[in-house]
Amino acid sequence: MDATTVIAVICSAVVFVGWLVAPSSPKAVRLAAPAPVSEERQRVAVSA
Amino acid sequence: MKIDSGDTAWVLASAALVMLMTPALGFFYGGLVRRKNVLSTIMHSFFILCLISVQWVLWGYSLAFGPDHFGLIGGLDWIGLNNVGFTPNADYAPTIPHQAYMVFQMMFAVITPALISGAFAERQRFKAFVLFSLLWATFVYDPIAHWVWGAGGWLHTLGALDFAGGTVVHISSGVSALVAALVLGRRIGFGQGKFEPHDATMTVLGACLLWFGWFGFNAGSAVAAGGLATSAFVVTNTATAMAALTWMTVSWWHKRQPSVLGAAAGAVAGLVAITPASGFVNVMGSIVIGFGAGLFCYLAIQLRERIHVDDALDVWAVHGIGGTWGALATGLFATVAINSTAANGLFYGNPKQVLFQLAAIGASWAWAAIGTFVILKIVGVFVPLRVGEDEELVGLDISQHGEPAYAKDGEPAYANVGSL
Repeated sequence: MDATTVIAVICSAVVFVGWLVAPSSPKAVRLAAPAPVSEERQRVAVSA
Repeated sequence: MKIDSGDTAWVLASAALVMLMTPALGFFYGGLVRRKNVLSTIMHSFFILCLISVQWVLWGYSLAFGPDHFGLIGGLDWIGLNNVGFTPNADYAPTIPHQAYMVFQMMFAVITPALISGAFAERQRFKAFVLFSLLWATFVYDPIAHWVWGAGGWLHTLGALDFAGGTVVHISSGVSALVAALVLGRRIGFGQGKFEPHDATMTVLGACLLWFGWFGFNAGSAVAAGGLATSAFVVTNTATAMAALTWMTVSWWHKRQPSVLGAAAGAVAGLVAITPASGFVNVMGSIVIGFGAGLFCYLAIQLRERIHVDDALDVWAVHGIGGTWGALATGLFATVAINSTAANGLFYGNPKQVLFQLAAIGASWAWAAIGTFVILKIVGVFVPLRVGEDEELVGLDISQHGEPAYAKDGEPAYANVGSL
Protein backbone atom coordinates (compact mmCIF):
# COMPACT_ATOMS: atom_id res chain seq x y z
CA MET A 1 0.00 0.00 0.00
CA ASP A 2 1.29 3.45 -0.86
CA ALA A 3 1.07 6.47 1.46
CA THR A 4 -2.03 7.87 -0.27
CA THR A 5 -3.93 4.62 0.30
CA VAL A 6 -2.92 4.53 3.96
CA ILE A 7 -4.16 8.09 4.51
CA ALA A 8 -7.40 7.34 2.64
CA VAL A 9 -8.07 4.31 4.83
CA ILE A 10 -7.43 6.37 7.98
CA CYS A 11 -9.78 9.15 6.78
CA SER A 12 -12.52 6.65 6.00
CA ALA A 13 -12.06 4.95 9.37
CA VAL A 14 -12.37 8.29 11.19
CA VAL A 15 -15.71 8.95 9.51
CA PHE A 16 -17.10 5.44 9.89
CA VAL A 17 -16.03 5.09 13.52
CA GLY A 18 -17.28 8.64 14.09
CA TRP A 19 -20.84 7.48 13.60
CA LEU A 20 -20.46 5.07 16.52
CA VAL A 21 -19.56 7.88 18.90
CA ALA A 22 -21.98 10.44 17.43
CA PRO A 23 -24.94 11.29 19.67
CA SER A 24 -27.71 8.73 19.16
CA SER A 25 -30.34 10.76 20.94
CA PRO A 26 -30.00 14.33 19.76
CA LYS A 27 -31.62 17.44 21.23
CA ALA A 28 -34.69 16.81 23.35
CA VAL A 29 -37.83 17.38 21.34
CA ARG A 30 -41.10 18.31 22.99
CA LEU A 31 -44.39 17.78 21.29
CA ALA A 32 -46.54 20.88 21.17
CA ALA A 33 -49.85 20.60 22.96
CA PRO A 34 -52.63 19.85 20.48
CA ALA A 35 -54.79 22.82 19.61
CA PRO A 36 -58.26 22.65 21.19
CA VAL A 37 -60.90 21.54 18.76
CA SER A 38 -63.87 23.84 18.47
CA GLU A 39 -67.17 22.19 19.24
CA GLU A 40 -69.03 24.31 16.74
CA ARG A 41 -68.18 24.04 13.11
CA GLN A 42 -67.82 27.24 11.17
CA ARG A 43 -70.40 27.80 8.50
CA VAL A 44 -68.86 27.70 5.10
CA ALA A 45 -70.43 29.46 2.16
CA VAL A 46 -70.99 26.99 -0.61
CA SER A 47 -71.87 28.07 -4.09
CA ALA A 48 -74.68 26.40 -5.91
CA MET B 1 -6.24 17.58 -37.58
CA LYS B 2 -9.13 15.17 -37.73
CA ILE B 3 -12.29 15.79 -35.73
CA ASP B 4 -13.26 12.86 -33.49
CA SER B 5 -17.03 12.46 -33.31
CA GLY B 6 -16.96 10.74 -29.91
CA ASP B 7 -14.83 13.47 -28.34
CA THR B 8 -16.97 16.18 -29.87
CA ALA B 9 -20.19 14.59 -28.64
CA TRP B 10 -18.79 14.27 -25.12
CA VAL B 11 -17.54 17.85 -24.93
CA LEU B 12 -20.82 19.28 -26.25
CA ALA B 13 -22.80 17.14 -23.80
CA SER B 14 -20.45 18.27 -21.03
CA ALA B 15 -21.03 21.90 -21.97
CA ALA B 16 -24.75 21.30 -21.57
CA LEU B 17 -24.14 19.62 -18.19
CA VAL B 18 -22.07 22.58 -16.99
CA MET B 19 -24.71 25.00 -18.28
CA LEU B 20 -27.25 23.29 -16.00
CA MET B 21 -25.05 24.01 -13.00
CA THR B 22 -25.74 27.74 -13.04
CA PRO B 23 -29.53 27.49 -12.65
CA ALA B 24 -28.86 24.66 -10.17
CA LEU B 25 -26.72 27.08 -8.20
CA GLY B 26 -29.64 29.51 -8.28
CA PHE B 27 -31.83 26.89 -6.61
CA PHE B 28 -29.09 25.91 -4.16
CA TYR B 29 -28.71 29.54 -3.10
CA GLY B 30 -32.42 30.31 -3.48
CA GLY B 31 -33.38 27.77 -0.84
CA LEU B 32 -30.89 29.21 1.63
CA VAL B 33 -32.23 32.78 1.64
CA ARG B 34 -35.39 34.17 3.23
CA ARG B 35 -38.56 33.89 1.15
CA LYS B 36 -38.63 37.62 0.40
CA ASN B 37 -35.30 37.31 -1.49
CA VAL B 38 -35.57 33.97 -3.28
CA LEU B 39 -36.50 35.31 -6.69
CA SER B 40 -33.72 37.91 -6.71
CA THR B 41 -31.22 35.24 -5.70
CA ILE B 42 -32.28 32.92 -8.51
CA MET B 43 -32.23 35.89 -10.88
CA HIS B 44 -28.54 36.48 -10.13
CA SER B 45 -27.66 33.09 -11.62
CA PHE B 46 -30.11 33.30 -14.50
CA PHE B 47 -29.00 36.80 -15.45
CA ILE B 48 -25.31 35.89 -15.39
CA LEU B 49 -25.99 32.93 -17.68
CA CYS B 50 -27.29 35.42 -20.23
CA LEU B 51 -24.72 38.16 -19.59
CA ILE B 52 -21.56 36.06 -19.80
CA SER B 53 -22.86 34.06 -22.76
CA VAL B 54 -22.72 37.31 -24.72
CA GLN B 55 -19.57 38.72 -23.08
CA TRP B 56 -17.68 35.48 -23.80
CA VAL B 57 -18.31 35.43 -27.55
CA LEU B 58 -17.67 39.17 -27.87
CA TRP B 59 -14.33 39.47 -26.02
CA GLY B 60 -14.11 37.10 -23.03
CA TYR B 61 -12.87 34.02 -24.89
CA SER B 62 -10.30 36.06 -26.77
CA LEU B 63 -8.91 37.59 -23.56
CA ALA B 64 -8.76 34.22 -21.81
CA PHE B 65 -7.60 31.93 -24.60
CA GLY B 66 -6.47 34.17 -27.45
CA PRO B 67 -2.84 34.50 -28.57
CA ASP B 68 -0.67 35.21 -25.55
CA HIS B 69 0.75 38.57 -24.48
CA PHE B 70 3.56 38.35 -21.90
CA GLY B 71 1.95 35.34 -20.21
CA LEU B 72 -0.64 37.66 -18.71
CA ILE B 73 -3.56 38.01 -21.11
CA GLY B 74 -4.87 36.82 -24.44
CA GLY B 75 -5.03 39.24 -27.33
CA LEU B 76 -8.05 40.57 -29.18
CA ASP B 77 -7.39 38.46 -32.28
CA TRP B 78 -10.39 36.24 -31.54
CA ILE B 79 -12.81 39.01 -30.65
CA GLY B 80 -16.33 38.19 -31.81
CA LEU B 81 -15.10 34.61 -32.36
CA ASN B 82 -13.00 35.77 -35.28
CA ASN B 83 -10.71 32.83 -36.21
CA VAL B 84 -12.65 30.54 -33.85
CA GLY B 85 -14.35 28.13 -36.19
CA PHE B 86 -14.73 24.40 -36.69
CA THR B 87 -11.09 23.53 -37.27
CA PRO B 88 -9.58 22.11 -34.06
CA ASN B 89 -7.07 24.18 -32.11
CA ALA B 90 -4.01 22.05 -31.36
CA ASP B 91 -3.13 23.99 -28.20
CA TYR B 92 -6.43 23.32 -26.46
CA ALA B 93 -8.30 20.37 -27.96
CA PRO B 94 -6.90 18.75 -31.11
CA THR B 95 -9.83 16.40 -31.80
CA ILE B 96 -12.88 18.66 -31.52
CA PRO B 97 -14.03 21.82 -33.32
CA HIS B 98 -12.55 24.95 -31.78
CA GLN B 99 -16.05 26.32 -31.18
CA ALA B 100 -16.95 23.23 -29.15
CA TYR B 101 -14.03 23.99 -26.83
CA MET B 102 -15.04 27.64 -26.73
CA VAL B 103 -18.63 26.90 -25.67
CA PHE B 104 -17.46 24.38 -23.06
CA GLN B 105 -15.21 27.06 -21.55
CA MET B 106 -18.05 29.58 -21.78
CA MET B 107 -20.03 27.64 -19.21
CA PHE B 108 -17.13 27.87 -16.74
CA ALA B 109 -16.97 31.62 -17.27
CA VAL B 110 -20.73 31.78 -16.65
CA ILE B 111 -20.86 29.96 -13.34
CA THR B 112 -17.87 31.68 -11.73
CA PRO B 113 -19.36 35.16 -11.15
CA ALA B 114 -22.67 33.49 -10.28
CA LEU B 115 -20.90 31.77 -7.37
CA ILE B 116 -19.92 35.16 -5.91
CA SER B 117 -23.55 36.26 -5.78
CA GLY B 118 -24.06 34.11 -2.68
CA ALA B 119 -21.88 36.46 -0.65
CA PHE B 120 -23.91 39.61 -1.25
CA ALA B 121 -27.32 37.92 -1.39
CA GLU B 122 -30.26 39.73 0.21
CA ARG B 123 -28.71 43.20 0.02
CA GLN B 124 -27.00 44.07 -3.28
CA ARG B 125 -28.65 46.49 -5.68
CA PHE B 126 -29.36 44.74 -8.98
CA LYS B 127 -27.87 47.49 -11.12
CA ALA B 128 -24.62 47.36 -9.15
CA PHE B 129 -24.63 43.58 -9.52
CA VAL B 130 -24.95 43.88 -13.31
CA LEU B 131 -22.01 46.27 -13.63
CA PHE B 132 -19.87 44.37 -11.15
CA SER B 133 -20.43 41.03 -12.90
CA LEU B 134 -19.45 42.35 -16.32
CA LEU B 135 -16.30 44.06 -15.05
CA TRP B 136 -15.34 41.14 -12.82
CA ALA B 137 -15.64 38.62 -15.66
CA THR B 138 -13.46 40.81 -17.87
CA PHE B 139 -10.77 41.95 -15.46
CA VAL B 140 -10.56 39.12 -12.92
CA TYR B 141 -11.82 35.88 -14.50
CA ASP B 142 -10.42 36.27 -18.01
CA PRO B 143 -6.84 37.06 -16.90
CA ILE B 144 -6.70 34.24 -14.33
CA ALA B 145 -8.12 31.80 -16.89
CA HIS B 146 -5.35 32.87 -19.27
CA TRP B 147 -2.61 32.48 -16.65
CA VAL B 148 -3.68 28.94 -15.80
CA TRP B 149 -5.18 27.50 -18.99
CA GLY B 150 -4.17 29.81 -21.83
CA ALA B 151 -1.38 28.73 -24.17
CA GLY B 152 1.60 30.75 -22.89
CA GLY B 153 -0.07 31.72 -19.60
CA TRP B 154 2.58 32.20 -16.91
CA LEU B 155 1.18 29.72 -14.38
CA HIS B 156 0.62 27.20 -17.15
CA THR B 157 4.23 27.63 -18.25
CA LEU B 158 5.44 27.41 -14.65
CA GLY B 159 3.84 23.98 -14.32
CA ALA B 160 0.93 24.66 -11.98
CA LEU B 161 -1.80 22.02 -12.32
CA ASP B 162 -5.50 22.89 -12.40
CA PHE B 163 -7.57 20.36 -14.31
CA ALA B 164 -11.01 21.96 -14.14
CA GLY B 165 -10.82 25.22 -12.23
CA GLY B 166 -9.78 25.08 -8.58
CA THR B 167 -7.88 28.33 -8.94
CA VAL B 168 -9.64 29.81 -11.97
CA VAL B 169 -13.20 29.18 -10.80
CA HIS B 170 -13.28 28.46 -7.07
CA ILE B 171 -10.44 30.42 -5.49
CA SER B 172 -11.25 33.44 -7.67
CA SER B 173 -14.96 33.39 -6.78
CA GLY B 174 -14.49 32.42 -3.13
CA VAL B 175 -11.93 35.12 -2.38
CA SER B 176 -13.94 37.70 -4.31
CA ALA B 177 -16.98 36.71 -2.24
CA LEU B 178 -15.10 37.44 0.97
CA VAL B 179 -14.02 40.86 -0.29
CA ALA B 180 -17.54 41.65 -1.51
CA ALA B 181 -19.04 40.67 1.84
CA LEU B 182 -16.60 42.96 3.65
CA VAL B 183 -17.14 45.90 1.28
CA LEU B 184 -20.94 45.66 1.27
CA GLY B 185 -21.23 45.13 5.01
CA ARG B 186 -23.65 42.99 6.98
CA ARG B 187 -27.35 42.54 6.35
CA ILE B 188 -29.78 44.31 8.64
CA GLY B 189 -30.34 42.07 11.64
CA PHE B 190 -27.17 40.04 11.14
CA GLY B 191 -26.01 38.61 14.45
CA GLN B 192 -29.35 39.27 16.19
CA GLY B 193 -30.83 35.91 15.26
CA LYS B 194 -30.39 33.24 12.68
CA PHE B 195 -31.54 33.83 9.11
CA GLU B 196 -33.25 30.51 8.49
CA PRO B 197 -33.20 29.02 4.98
CA HIS B 198 -36.69 29.37 3.57
CA ASP B 199 -36.73 26.05 1.66
CA ALA B 200 -34.17 23.36 2.49
CA THR B 201 -35.66 21.01 -0.10
CA MET B 202 -34.86 23.51 -2.84
CA THR B 203 -31.26 23.65 -1.62
CA VAL B 204 -30.86 19.87 -1.58
CA LEU B 205 -32.33 19.65 -5.08
CA GLY B 206 -29.89 22.35 -6.21
CA ALA B 207 -26.98 20.44 -4.69
CA CYS B 208 -28.03 17.24 -6.49
CA LEU B 209 -28.27 19.06 -9.81
CA LEU B 210 -24.85 20.62 -9.19
CA TRP B 211 -23.42 17.15 -8.53
CA PHE B 212 -24.94 15.91 -11.79
CA GLY B 213 -23.64 18.85 -13.81
CA TRP B 214 -20.20 18.58 -12.23
CA PHE B 215 -19.54 15.37 -14.15
CA GLY B 216 -19.44 17.57 -17.25
CA PHE B 217 -17.31 20.13 -15.44
CA ASN B 218 -14.58 17.68 -14.46
CA ALA B 219 -14.84 14.70 -16.80
CA GLY B 220 -15.53 17.07 -19.70
CA SER B 221 -12.25 18.85 -18.96
CA ALA B 222 -10.44 15.87 -20.43
CA VAL B 223 -11.81 17.27 -23.75
CA ALA B 224 -11.90 13.72 -25.02
CA ALA B 225 -14.06 10.67 -24.37
CA GLY B 226 -11.62 8.15 -22.93
CA GLY B 227 -9.80 6.86 -19.89
CA LEU B 228 -8.91 10.25 -18.42
CA ALA B 229 -12.54 11.41 -18.56
CA THR B 230 -13.58 8.16 -16.89
CA SER B 231 -11.03 8.62 -14.12
CA ALA B 232 -12.14 12.23 -13.56
CA PHE B 233 -15.75 11.05 -13.39
CA VAL B 234 -14.98 8.39 -10.77
CA VAL B 235 -12.82 10.57 -8.51
CA THR B 236 -15.37 13.39 -8.71
CA ASN B 237 -18.13 11.13 -7.44
CA THR B 238 -15.92 9.59 -4.74
CA ALA B 239 -14.60 12.87 -3.33
CA THR B 240 -18.08 14.39 -3.30
CA ALA B 241 -19.56 11.49 -1.39
CA MET B 242 -16.66 11.45 1.07
CA ALA B 243 -16.94 15.19 1.71
CA ALA B 244 -20.69 14.93 2.34
CA LEU B 245 -20.13 12.07 4.79
CA THR B 246 -17.34 13.96 6.55
CA TRP B 247 -19.24 17.25 6.85
CA MET B 248 -22.33 15.45 8.13
CA THR B 249 -20.28 13.53 10.70
CA VAL B 250 -18.40 16.60 11.95
CA SER B 251 -21.62 18.58 12.26
CA TRP B 252 -23.19 15.58 14.03
CA TRP B 253 -20.46 15.71 16.66
CA HIS B 254 -20.52 19.48 16.87
CA LYS B 255 -24.24 20.25 16.77
CA ARG B 256 -25.48 16.83 18.00
CA GLN B 257 -27.60 16.26 14.87
CA PRO B 258 -26.74 15.07 11.34
CA SER B 259 -27.64 18.11 9.25
CA VAL B 260 -29.31 17.60 5.87
CA LEU B 261 -28.19 21.02 4.65
CA GLY B 262 -24.75 20.16 6.01
CA ALA B 263 -24.62 17.01 3.90
CA ALA B 264 -25.62 19.05 0.84
CA ALA B 265 -23.03 21.75 1.57
CA GLY B 266 -20.42 19.06 2.19
CA ALA B 267 -21.14 17.53 -1.20
CA VAL B 268 -20.57 20.90 -2.86
CA ALA B 269 -17.34 21.35 -0.89
CA GLY B 270 -16.16 17.97 -2.17
CA LEU B 271 -17.04 18.88 -5.74
CA VAL B 272 -15.08 22.11 -5.38
CA ALA B 273 -11.99 20.47 -3.88
CA ILE B 274 -11.73 17.64 -6.39
CA THR B 275 -12.10 20.04 -9.33
CA PRO B 276 -8.41 21.01 -9.77
CA ALA B 277 -7.24 17.48 -8.97
CA SER B 278 -9.77 15.45 -10.95
CA GLY B 279 -7.51 14.77 -13.90
CA PHE B 280 -4.41 14.00 -11.86
CA VAL B 281 -5.26 11.92 -8.77
CA ASN B 282 -6.38 8.33 -8.24
CA VAL B 283 -9.39 7.15 -6.28
CA MET B 284 -7.52 6.90 -2.96
CA GLY B 285 -6.32 10.47 -3.41
CA SER B 286 -9.90 11.57 -4.03
CA ILE B 287 -11.01 10.06 -0.70
CA VAL B 288 -8.41 12.12 1.15
CA ILE B 289 -9.38 15.24 -0.80
CA GLY B 290 -13.06 14.69 0.00
CA PHE B 291 -12.29 14.17 3.68
CA GLY B 292 -10.23 17.37 3.82
CA ALA B 293 -12.93 19.32 1.99
CA GLY B 294 -15.65 18.30 4.44
CA LEU B 295 -13.45 19.07 7.44
CA PHE B 296 -11.70 22.29 6.36
CA CYS B 297 -14.77 23.94 4.82
CA TYR B 298 -16.84 23.18 7.91
CA LEU B 299 -14.12 24.72 10.12
CA ALA B 300 -13.93 27.74 7.80
CA ILE B 301 -17.63 28.41 8.39
CA GLN B 302 -17.07 28.32 12.15
CA LEU B 303 -14.24 30.84 11.71
CA ARG B 304 -16.35 33.08 9.47
CA GLU B 305 -19.14 33.09 12.08
CA ARG B 306 -16.69 33.97 14.86
CA ILE B 307 -15.31 36.99 13.04
CA HIS B 308 -18.87 38.12 12.10
CA VAL B 309 -18.35 38.40 8.36
CA ASP B 310 -21.69 38.30 6.55
CA ASP B 311 -20.74 36.13 3.58
CA ALA B 312 -24.42 35.27 3.37
CA LEU B 313 -24.22 31.82 1.77
CA ASP B 314 -20.64 30.90 2.76
CA VAL B 315 -19.06 31.19 -0.65
CA TRP B 316 -15.62 31.88 0.80
CA ALA B 317 -15.71 28.92 3.17
CA VAL B 318 -16.87 26.43 0.54
CA HIS B 319 -15.30 27.74 -2.68
CA GLY B 320 -12.35 29.77 -1.40
CA ILE B 321 -11.15 27.27 1.16
CA GLY B 322 -12.34 24.20 -0.76
CA GLY B 323 -10.60 25.45 -3.91
CA THR B 324 -7.42 26.23 -2.00
CA TRP B 325 -7.37 22.78 -0.40
CA GLY B 326 -8.01 21.13 -3.75
CA ALA B 327 -5.25 23.08 -5.49
CA LEU B 328 -2.79 22.25 -2.72
CA ALA B 329 -3.88 18.61 -2.61
CA THR B 330 -3.22 18.37 -6.34
CA GLY B 331 0.42 19.11 -5.53
CA LEU B 332 0.36 16.33 -2.94
CA PHE B 333 -1.49 13.50 -4.69
CA ALA B 334 -1.04 14.03 -8.46
CA THR B 335 0.42 11.01 -10.24
CA VAL B 336 1.50 10.44 -13.80
CA ALA B 337 -0.07 7.00 -13.56
CA ILE B 338 -3.38 8.81 -14.08
CA ASN B 339 -2.25 11.54 -16.46
CA SER B 340 1.04 10.99 -18.23
CA THR B 341 1.10 14.54 -19.62
CA ALA B 342 1.09 16.10 -16.12
CA ALA B 343 3.47 15.69 -13.16
CA ASN B 344 3.79 13.77 -9.93
CA GLY B 345 2.98 15.39 -6.61
CA LEU B 346 4.80 15.30 -3.28
CA PHE B 347 3.59 11.80 -2.34
CA TYR B 348 4.90 10.46 -5.64
CA GLY B 349 8.39 11.96 -5.33
CA ASN B 350 8.02 15.51 -6.69
CA PRO B 351 7.96 18.05 -3.82
CA LYS B 352 8.49 20.95 -6.26
CA GLN B 353 4.91 20.55 -7.48
CA VAL B 354 3.67 21.86 -4.12
CA LEU B 355 5.58 25.10 -4.73
CA PHE B 356 4.00 25.51 -8.17
CA GLN B 357 0.59 24.96 -6.64
CA LEU B 358 1.28 27.50 -3.90
CA ALA B 359 2.31 30.03 -6.55
CA ALA B 360 -0.99 29.50 -8.38
CA ILE B 361 -2.96 29.73 -5.13
CA GLY B 362 -1.21 32.92 -4.02
CA ALA B 363 -1.54 34.63 -7.40
CA SER B 364 -5.25 33.75 -7.66
CA TRP B 365 -5.98 34.96 -4.12
CA ALA B 366 -4.14 38.23 -4.66
CA TRP B 367 -5.57 39.08 -8.09
CA ALA B 368 -9.13 38.17 -7.09
CA ALA B 369 -8.97 40.16 -3.84
CA ILE B 370 -7.41 43.29 -5.34
CA GLY B 371 -9.48 43.17 -8.52
CA THR B 372 -12.77 42.71 -6.69
CA PHE B 373 -12.02 45.53 -4.26
CA VAL B 374 -11.13 47.96 -7.04
CA ILE B 375 -14.12 47.01 -9.18
CA LEU B 376 -16.56 47.39 -6.28
CA LYS B 377 -15.13 50.82 -5.46
CA ILE B 378 -15.44 51.92 -9.10
CA VAL B 379 -19.00 50.61 -9.41
CA GLY B 380 -19.84 52.27 -6.09
CA VAL B 381 -18.95 55.67 -7.56
CA PHE B 382 -21.74 55.33 -10.13
CA VAL B 383 -24.34 53.19 -8.36
CA PRO B 384 -24.95 52.51 -4.65
CA LEU B 385 -23.81 48.93 -4.07
CA ARG B 386 -26.50 48.17 -1.51
CA VAL B 387 -30.22 48.65 -1.61
CA GLY B 388 -31.72 51.14 0.83
CA GLU B 389 -32.76 50.06 4.30
CA ASP B 390 -36.48 49.98 3.46
CA GLU B 391 -35.80 48.03 0.29
CA GLU B 392 -33.79 45.48 2.21
CA LEU B 393 -36.52 45.08 4.83
CA VAL B 394 -39.20 44.69 2.18
CA GLY B 395 -37.04 42.18 0.34
CA LEU B 396 -35.24 42.28 -2.98
CA ASP B 397 -37.91 40.36 -4.86
CA ILE B 398 -40.30 43.26 -4.53
CA SER B 399 -37.85 46.16 -4.23
CA GLN B 400 -35.61 45.14 -7.15
CA HIS B 401 -37.88 43.12 -9.41
CA GLY B 402 -41.45 43.97 -8.42
CA GLU B 403 -42.37 40.31 -8.23
CA PRO B 404 -42.91 38.08 -5.21
CA ALA B 405 -41.79 34.47 -5.47
CA TYR B 406 -44.80 33.04 -3.69
CA ALA B 407 -47.90 35.15 -4.30
CA LYS B 408 -51.00 33.55 -2.83
CA ASP B 409 -54.16 33.02 -4.85
CA GLY B 410 -56.65 35.79 -4.36
CA GLU B 411 -54.22 38.08 -2.60
CA PRO B 412 -52.39 41.06 -4.04
CA ALA B 413 -48.76 40.53 -4.96
CA TYR B 414 -47.63 42.69 -2.06
CA ALA B 415 -49.30 40.41 0.51
CA ASN B 416 -45.96 38.87 1.40
CA VAL B 417 -44.27 42.18 2.10
CA GLY B 418 -43.16 42.47 5.68
CA SER B 419 -44.14 38.92 6.58
CA LEU B 420 -40.53 38.16 7.44
